[in-house]
Amino acid sequence: MHLLYRYREFIRNLVLKDLKLKYRDSVLGFLWSLMNPLLLILVYGFVFGHLFRGGLSDLPYFLMVGILPWNFFAQSLMMATGSILDNGNLIRKVALPMEVFPIATVLFNLAQYVLALLVFFPMALLFFKVSVAWSWILFVPILALHILFTVGVCLMASTATVFYRDVRHFVEILLMLLFWLTPVVYDIRAAAAPLRSALYMNPLSYFILSYQEVLYYNAYLSLSRLGTIIALTACSLAVGCLLFVKCKKRFAEEV
Amino acid sequence: MAEDIQVVEVSKAFLIKHNKADSLKSKVIGFFHKRYRERREILWALKGITFTVSCGEAFGLVGRNGSGKSTLLKIIAGIYQPTSGSVKTPGNARMGAMIELGAGFHPELTGRENIFLGASMHGLDRKEIEGIYEPVVAFSELDSFMDTPVKNYSSGMYARLGFALAVNLNPDVLLIDEVLSVGDEAFQRKCIDQIDRFQAEGKTILFVSHSADAVKRICARVCVLDHGVPVFVGQSDEGLDRYRALLAL
Repeated sequence: MHLLYRYREFIRNLVLKDLKLKYRDSVLGFLWSLMNPLLLILVYGFVFGHLFRGGLSDLPYFLMVGILPWNFFAQSLMMATGSILDNGNLIRKVALPMEVFPIATVLFNLAQYVLALLVFFPMALLFFKVSVAWSWILFVPILALHILFTVGVCLMASTATVFYRDVRHFVEILLMLLFWLTPVVYDIRAAAAPLRSALYMNPLSYFILSYQEVLYYNAYLSLSRLGTIIALTACSLAVGCLLFVKCKKRFAEEV
Repeated sequence: MAEDIQVVEVSKAFLIKHNKADSLKSKVIGFFHKRYRERREILWALKGITFTVSCGEAFGLVGRNGSGKSTLLKIIAGIYQPTSGSVKTPGNARMGAMIELGAGFHPELTGRENIFLGASMHGLDRKEIEGIYEPVVAFSELDSFMDTPVKNYSSGMYARLGFALAVNLNPDVLLIDEVLSVGDEAFQRKCIDQIDRFQAEGKTILFVSHSADAVKRICARVCVLDHGVPVFVGQSDEGLDRYRALLAL
């Protein structure tokens, strides 16, 4: 932990490097990061709003509440999965705490997530007559838990990839499946019974549901829901850290 | 700070994997087909290395290609773990490992950005980096290229920036791996001078090279490695004779 603190400047520089390189020499710059969620919201809004006639009012806002955190998780995981392997050149030559690489990718995606929130929320307030509620305060602890949960998963995935290169492809496909097994683009209550039980098996569902509860339904979190996401976060972090710490001695030889 | 580097009975085994099964598919196929199964062979890169480098000493590691010099240096730097034995390094000393100059540079970033990235990689905070920035630029003599992406640098310029950064990290212990073979002659001399200065300041230096001249110039004692086995530990002159005898074989 104290090593991570000592290397905070390195983490900061890694995140800045990725942000800088991503937008350097592009005309629209960071607007590109908003295109992906915007397009998803428009497409799913059209499909579910007009083709299927789902029962939700202000569907685009509902989609936004789910898609932004989903994107944060999915893109963090995709990037972090190869983060140790891709920095192999460095790991073989410089002694440094290797945790910084998956953590930096999570923070990089967090920056994009926050950016998207800052743009989309005012738009939602403007166009969809979304009313601000006190329950929104709970967004902060949910986000904090969601970040830590993501870090845990990313630590596991980046470790596994060092030893089995196919984890990367597996994660890619798993995320596609997981997208539909998470109530991101539809209301969980509209899901058929067998699907619903599958949704409840997916840890990520609980985070998305929490976001929806406080931001879309303007309701407070039940204690059991809060307890569930705390427990999931603790598990993910514990397994992620243990696995990473146990295996990292061999990283320099395996990458 | 007056602590030594102690290398005690260090051995390092690498697993050489033929038909390396680093994907699940190859694991599964290997399960059914003997021919495709991963065969493992153990290569002892280092065997029973013991020596002590006292504080302020310049110590050389010499040997032919593949004799284990770099592996040993990486173990001392803490990048690899020894299979058996132990390495004790001064606890609070800054270890400066020059294993590859500019290892952490990103080609798309400018010289300036790379100095900040590269220095933070060694655990410096922003204030410290701002403090060494000017000396790095001055040492590298690349003042007018600080806003150029390093992908446009020549390999000599790249190495100069790397070396300038490495020496300004102000390490207490220097681990130098064959990095003086880069840059033009003038810059090489500058590097050697810098190493002399470090020696005069009483810093511990571990110097890896297969150039007998450079070792003789810098180090009082050497360890000669052959196929991972220490054939000699002691005075440079005698050690370099042993090394030359090895080369003649």
